[in-house]
Amino acid sequence: MITPLLLGLLAGAILSGTSLLYATLGETIVERSGIVNLGLEGLLLVGASVGFSVTAVSGSAWLGLVGAAVAGALVNLAFGWLVVTRKANQLASGLAMMFFGFGASALIGAPHVGAVIRGLPKWRPAWLADVSWVQTTTLFKYDLLTWLAVPVAGFVWWLLFRTRWGLGLRAVGENPNAAFASGRDPAVFQYEALCLGGVLGGLAGAHLSLSVTGTWAEYMTAGRGFIAIALVIFSKWDPRRVIVGTLLFGGAEALELQLQARGALISPFVLEMFPYLLTIAVLLVWGGSRRLAAPASLGRTFYGSS
Amino acid sequence: MPEAGVISSLRNSNAARAAARFVAVSAIALLVFALVLLAAGKDPLSAYAQTFRHTLASSYGFSELLVRMTPLLLTAVAVALPSRLGLINVGGEGQLYMGAFAASAAAFVLPNAPGWLLLPLVVLSGFLGGAIWAAIPGALRAAKLVNETVSTLLLNYVAPLIVGYFIFGPWRTTENSAYPESSTFPPGALLPTLFGTRIHAGLLIALAALAVYWFVMERTRWGIEMRAIGGNSEAAQRLGIAVPAWIVAALAIGGGFAGLAGMGEAMGIAGKLRQTLSPGYGFTGFLIAWLAGGRPVGILFMSFLFAIITAAGDTLQISQGLPYAVVNILLATILFVVLASRGGWGIGR
Amino acid sequence: MNRPLRFVVCGLMLLAGLAARPLDAQEPKLIIGAVYVGSVNDYGYNRSFHDALTQVAGDLQGIKLLEAENVPESGEAESVMEGLVQQGAKLVIATSFGYKDSARKVAKRHRDVAFEFAGDGDPESNFGVFFGQTQRAMYPMGVAAGKLTRTNKLGFVIGIPIGYSLGNVNAFQMGAASVNPKVQTIVVVTGGWADKAKEAAAANALLDQGCDVISMHVDSPATIIRTVEDRGAMSIGFQSIEARALAPKGWLTGLGFNWAPFFAETAKKVMAGKFRGEAVYQGLGQMVVVAPFGASVPADVQAAVTKSAEEVRKGFNPFTGPLKDNRGGLALPPGASVGVDQMGSMNWYVEGVVGKVR
Repeated sequence: MITPLLLGLLAGAILSGTSLLYATLGETIVERSGIVNLGLEGLLLVGASVGFSVTAVSGSAWLGLVGAAVAGALVNLAFGWLVVTRKANQLASGLAMMFFGFGASALIGAPHVGAVIRGLPKWRPAWLADVSWVQTTTLFKYDLLTWLAVPVAGFVWWLLFRTRWGLGLRAVGENPNAAFASGRDPAVFQYEALCLGGVLGGLAGAHLSLSVTGTWAEYMTAGRGFIAIALVIFSKWDPRRVIVGTLLFGGAEALELQLQARGALISPFVLEMFPYLLTIAVLLVWGGSRRLAAPASLGRTFYGSS
Repeated sequence: MPEAGVISSLRNSNAARAAARFVAVSAIALLVFALVLLAAGKDPLSAYAQTFRHTLASSYGFSELLVRMTPLLLTAVAVALPSRLGLINVGGEGQLYMGAFAASAAAFVLPNAPGWLLLPLVVLSGFLGGAIWAAIPGALRAAKLVNETVSTLLLNYVAPLIVGYFIFGPWRTTENSAYPESSTFPPGALLPTLFGTRIHAGLLIALAALAVYWFVMERTRWGIEMRAIGGNSEAAQRLGIAVPAWIVAALAIGGGFAGLAGMGEAMGIAGKLRQTLSPGYGFTGFLIAWLAGGRPVGILFMSFLFAIITAAGDTLQISQGLPYAVVNILLATILFVVLASRGGWGIGR
Repeated sequence: MNRPLRFVVCGLMLLAGLAARPLDAQEPKLIIGAVYVGSVNDYGYNRSFHDALTQVAGDLQGIKLLEAENVPESGEAESVMEGLVQQGAKLVIATSFGYKDSARKVAKRHRDVAFEFAGDGDPESNFGVFFGQTQRAMYPMGVAAGKLTRTNKLGFVIGIPIGYSLGNVNAFQMGAASVNPKVQTIVVVTGGWADKAKEAAAANALLDQGCDVISMHVDSPATIIRTVEDRGAMSIGFQSIEARALAPKGWLTGLGFNWAPFFAETAKKVMAGKFRGEAVYQGLGQMVVVAPFGASVPADVQAAVTKSAEEVRKGFNPFTGPLKDNRGGLALPPGASVGVDQMGSMNWYVEGVVGKVR
């Protein structure tokens, strides 16, 4: 009795979670360099609309993915120009990019609303295809982005924690002055982080329009960008924990729908609150050490006058 | 901290600076929007003429500007006041919804109370709802447990879910086909409106809030203490100022103002509790406070500017077939230009 | 102060230019304003209105159509509708349910403008209500589903749980049960008219539960139908019969709207100065149309569905007591029935539906 629920939950969490995972990984890299991007929601929308529009026009979802990745990188680089080169307030800049994303995505997507596209192809490994309990679910029948999700998370972890570049990036996020004194240019690292983060964010948005829904609609990300920001905090800025966190946050939505489909009666609102309250609780309990887990120079205004 | 002489001369020209900023930003807006319109194949001059006619030149249009300004003034002060202590409040959305929630609770718990009692109670509840919601992050920050930017942001998500729970559940109306919203509030709880328009008493509350903010910051000892904390909290603490208490108080009061915005939208505009009370007023308030440098007069000007821009968006969608999305591009571009000019100005860096 | 000064000068020049511009005057006979909660290209609800109004504007002479898309069901809607009136609209169509309050307020302020609201409620002198009675029409849809399901589990995705949506589910279940007593309908609510990602997840959840025929009441059926088609199940469409192009294998049949005749008549009445607010509910054959059958539907099923549709057209009302609800009680006692104007206040699910109303 429980197994079908768990399977359905897992399947649902993976479907909703893929785009959340990519978005969170991108934001993690960026925040590790000391920058907060409140405009992540706008970035996702740009990725979704560009991905969809390019696919609608060209007929190829792969081109759409490339387009989304490029668009995402450009958007983040523009944001980077504001906060790194012009040294503008990160929160205000992020919100500006959010508005930009709202508007640009609507304009880019408008001519293509209602277009029917062939989304990203999905496939299932042959040896699993014959297993009966797998056949009736969506498990293991994924598009490329979902198949690569966990490897990409692993890659990001490796990048941040096992390479010299990652070391330098984290140093910049902790103390840009010290990093500068030791010969690293914080600006370069931050731009590189933003570029990579932009690619991941663009892909995250494109996954929604090209795989999950196969359509484009204004504001279709429905707050996932902000959820990702919370998820970065929950995961202590560590890509490995992001995987767990994504299942939790993505799972809450899946759980709510799967429970309804079983006639169970927990309020969806209560279910959706749970991941955020858990995040706050986790921050509370590990209060002191949790603050150390954040890059010390995260958003120069992040810590106010303390 | 700058010397006393500089402070006083800055203070004297605050209004002038605010006006100059307003003009500069407006000019940027006009120019950028003209380019956007041209790019969309529309005629900027006739577009501006139509906007002018339907907003500034029409009495209903002008009243609508005031309606749009009301929540913006409040959410901007909600950000500006804590910012004087160096605190960052991005929780305006959540505080707004909790204010609406608490005010609704008061209205539903005492529906038969006489108007002279119910209305002030509702207003007070609105303030308390937002205040408590912001006091939580305040306490967490004062105890050095969680950074307030993070906690106010996280609580933004929880508040609309609480509202949603109640309007899909215990408070759901049985009229209107059970559309998920609350029943209409008892008449005694509704804010009075100015005949024929949608301007409601919330505007007076908002202006009063702005005045109180100005007065407290500029003319009272409390203001001086708060600004001292903002300048150097350790020094302030050594001077005997109760920094932790001020942190909680400042965020709570700021949150209370945002709560009043929510109360105003619920009791003054919607007449019931809905999920769609705020199209992001909390974040827009943050931007307004930032553009205004946290100054009351600047907040007044910038709120007005934002009101015109969003009203123009609606008008132009109907008259020119321009998608409303263009307004977002316009806002983004204005902000971009301001932010890019020598890092912009505003509340701290 | 150089840069800002330059901007100020440009701005002032633009402002100065405003004064010199005369307005161009072009007098259409009737300006119709329409407000949509989504995009008109949505393959569904909003498109049905847009198509109908565009057709009317084309057929009749001298009509100008003003449209506002993506207007949320909040206080904003009132500003937009007021804006339409200010721009000269004499007939305003409020297409989405959540616009009711806003539309009524604007109607009160402008008694010389005609309003038509897609929903229920009491008409006023200048405020009419209308809707297509899809509920009864869902009965033959249920017949199709009941006959073709192999798992005896039907799925239904609802956007916002209003009385009309519940009615659709109930008729669907009753129609299915009339040809297949073992069938049940599972309901999942997404919470919004057009949350695409949630709709996809909801459809998947239903399919995970074993449902093999899915129908819906959301603004656009496209996402759900595509998801269902991808997983090889069957779908019954709603809002737009064009959506059948999305499911070449799984499409069974569906319901759509045809508002054009009603709008044409209303526009003529407004132009003749004879508009009066009324409640107009039309069903199968008028505002509600049945989609063509999918290729996979066998002839005997088609015949059964067509026969059932004919009965509905002739006045058959499935909402007649005695009817049991899904909590073991009696939803409708013997002899009672639910009329078209009471459909909005439906607040129960019929026996066989798996779901909670509140």
